[in-house]
Amino acid sequence: MLEECSGRNAPPAALETRGLSKRFGELQANDRIDLQLHSGEIHAILGENGAGKSVLAKALYGVNLPDEGTILRDGRVVVIDSPRKARALGIGLVFQDFRLIPALTVLENILLALPDQRMRLRRKVLTERIAQAAARFDLRIRPHARVRDISMAERQQVEILKLLLSGARVMILDEPTSLLAPQEVDALGRVVSELRDQGLALALITHKLMDVRSMCDRVTVLRGGVVQVRGVNPAGLDDTKLVDAVVGRRLPQVRSHPRQPVHDPTLAFQAINIDVEAEHGRLALSELTMEVERGEIVGVAGVSGSGQRELAEVALGLRGIRTGGLRVLGRDVSNGRPAEVLEAGAAGVSEDPLATDVVPGLTVTEHMALSRLKLPTRRLGCDWRALERQVAALPEAQILKIAAGGRQVTTLSGGNVQRIMLCRTLAGDPGFLVMAYPTRGLDLANAVATQDLLLRHARDGAGVLLMSEDLDELFLLSDRIIVLHAGRVVACVDPEVAERHDVGSLMLGLAA
Amino acid sequence: MKKSLRRAAASGLAILIATLVLFPIVDITVEDCLVRTTPFVLCGLAVAVPARAGLVNIGGEGQFTFAMVVVTATVLLVGDTIDAFLLLPLLAVAGLLGGAVWAGIAGLLRVTVKLNEALSTLLLNFVSPLILAYFVFGPWRDRSSFNLPVSKPYPDAAQLPTFGLTQVHLGIVLAVVAAVLAWAVLDFTRWGFTVRVVGGNPEAARRAGLPVNRIVFVALLIGGALAGLAGMIEVTGVERVLRPNIGVGFGYIGFLASWLVGHRPLELLASSFLLASISVTGDSLQINAGLPSTSVYVLMAVVLLLVLAIRGLITRSKAD
Repeated sequence: MLEECSGRNAPPAALETRGLSKRFGELQANDRIDLQLHSGEIHAILGENGAGKSVLAKALYGVNLPDEGTILRDGRVVVIDSPRKARALGIGLVFQDFRLIPALTVLENILLALPDQRMRLRRKVLTERIAQAAARFDLRIRPHARVRDISMAERQQVEILKLLLSGARVMILDEPTSLLAPQEVDALGRVVSELRDQGLALALITHKLMDVRSMCDRVTVLRGGVVQVRGVNPAGLDDTKLVDAVVGRRLPQVRSHPRQPVHDPTLAFQAINIDVEAEHGRLALSELTMEVERGEIVGVAGVSGSGQRELAEVALGLRGIRTGGLRVLGRDVSNGRPAEVLEAGAAGVSEDPLATDVVPGLTVTEHMALSRLKLPTRRLGCDWRALERQVAALPEAQILKIAAGGRQVTTLSGGNVQRIMLCRTLAGDPGFLVMAYPTRGLDLANAVATQDLLLRHARDGAGVLLMSEDLDELFLLSDRIIVLHAGRVVACVDPEVAERHDVGSLMLGLAA
Repeated sequence: MKKSLRRAAASGLAILIATLVLFPIVDITVEDCLVRTTPFVLCGLAVAVPARAGLVNIGGEGQFTFAMVVVTATVLLVGDTIDAFLLLPLLAVAGLLGGAVWAGIAGLLRVTVKLNEALSTLLLNFVSPLILAYFVFGPWRDRSSFNLPVSKPYPDAAQLPTFGLTQVHLGIVLAVVAAVLAWAVLDFTRWGFTVRVVGGNPEAARRAGLPVNRIVFVALLIGGALAGLAGMIEVTGVERVLRPNIGVGFGYIGFLASWLVGHRPLELLASSFLLASISVTGDSLQINAGLPSTSVYVLMAVVLLLVLAIRGLITRSKAD
């Protein structure tokens, strides 16, 4: 284990854990974790999905109580048994998916979080305080905008400001770069270094090496709930060492994929000049024309909210189009309902399966019946056992190691649910796949297996429309990448020759 | 499987305790309880089936009443010309249809203009008694009834057969059959599966290409039909005449019975029996002890709270 000794007379850490352990059933999520967050430092907590980073963050923020171990704030032992207690101790957490109320304004959201409010809301005073703090930390905040109208980057800044105004001196950011475009990440870097210079202790939870390199003064690496690297300056470690610490093995490489010519001339998906309405009559997609050939993977890049979700929904018949035409595998589905599009041979993984695909109370096998697999019947009833055998025989089920058929899906972790959804989508070899963030929530090994499966399905003749927030994934898998900005296709690039930074600029609506 | 067994045992135990307390204290007979159980089971199913599709049907009351109007209309039209073997099934169909039509209004509003079915079914409860009143105060009033608002008594052919010399009629058999059927269909058939998917997550059902609106509509129709059957059974098995205020509150008690057991049809038989015992107790209290009729609601509330508390304690201690 790599360690760095602190000087004998150093001041106590702003936040420290000693031997922190947390177990969920069979899973030892955190195993005797020692961590020191110092004021004026940005400390990366690096690890794969499922390494125990979020569990650790939740323990520090009082969401779950650790089984063993102690937490010290400025050298004093404290018990953090609720987020309220954490906030009272000056500890704040910026959740990955943010916890703002979209219908309220920025100001109102901040008001909600402040402990020292009286009955009467004093908006003027608070507006001033927001303006002051924003200027001090170089945050760009429009206090009177509604949260639903502002970008992810702005929401993040609102969260940060909210914590600052409520007196946080220790700030934990959970995967702060996951929803940001490259340029927005740079802006975040400037904000956190400003916070550091103002004397805050920052912990940055991430699975991206780049974040560690560009923003952090120290890094702690977790793997399987155990600390692998403790509080080291990342400059002293090369990439191979860090990656080894994170994954504990060599990265499996996805095979290069020379595209096979497919002889079927039918397009998997074709959109001709479509306009798609979002809520409130705003156009989510305008004059969009694109096609996906069979055997081709078309990546869609864009900062979140650029129309990817609408495109994915339109491609599966879940959302109507206002004008234009749509064809899926040769069939006209311009007025398509989901059943028709599925019938034509499409299938998809949605952006947020927990909300839109998981049915509470149903088992894994029952979820599998909602796919291209035919639910076998026996006498008058359904033959669930036969379906379970059928699922177990799927190559995808074996590769992705999906959970036992009798388990209730709501009791499974996010990664497990995602693998079930992937398996269900790929079952029965659909000719057109709409994959929205297919590797979200998966650990590295499963993400690679999933990417491999997608390439395999494309080689076998499926057309794939791939949305991803991970540019690396888009570059790795796609034959073409189209870039969406504000509901329009602004570019179509060849990943073999394009530069990441240029794609990032396009995503933000800047000229490449 | 284990979980459902445990649940069944828990509610069974709670109901047993409550009933054991109840029977010795007041003077009621199993016979009366069984007669009262019948409409409660069916009105409970009227809630349970739509509930599994994620719907809240508070309209058992109205569906029950409207069905009695349709049944009586049928009796008045053809009651004297057909014998019991054909007439009773015909009346059952009339009851099922009457209830389904009444629920269908709410179902149609739900799938066309997205009007919440809890609201529409509840409000329709205030409409069907008025329709009933119109007929019994008007065209159907029996001249020989000393001006009371009642219809002519049903002919013998339109009366449900009873068992031996008891008051217990065929209805309880129908109720049990309906509950078993509902259980089998919901838990074991493909259609029941789609209902559960829609009830669990309508968006997931939509994304899987299921006809969500159709499933919602049909589930509500079935619910209404079952409440309608309860109305048919009550009017042909107990009252044998149409008058206002038959089975007032049965729809709501069915609602309670269903919620009490998480909309599981087989357990509904037990909860309905329990509520029927309490309801009959109320009648006897009123007659024997001179208590106001509303005292039964106090009793019902106390027992319900007890049942819920006991079950809550049992399931919580198991969960920990």
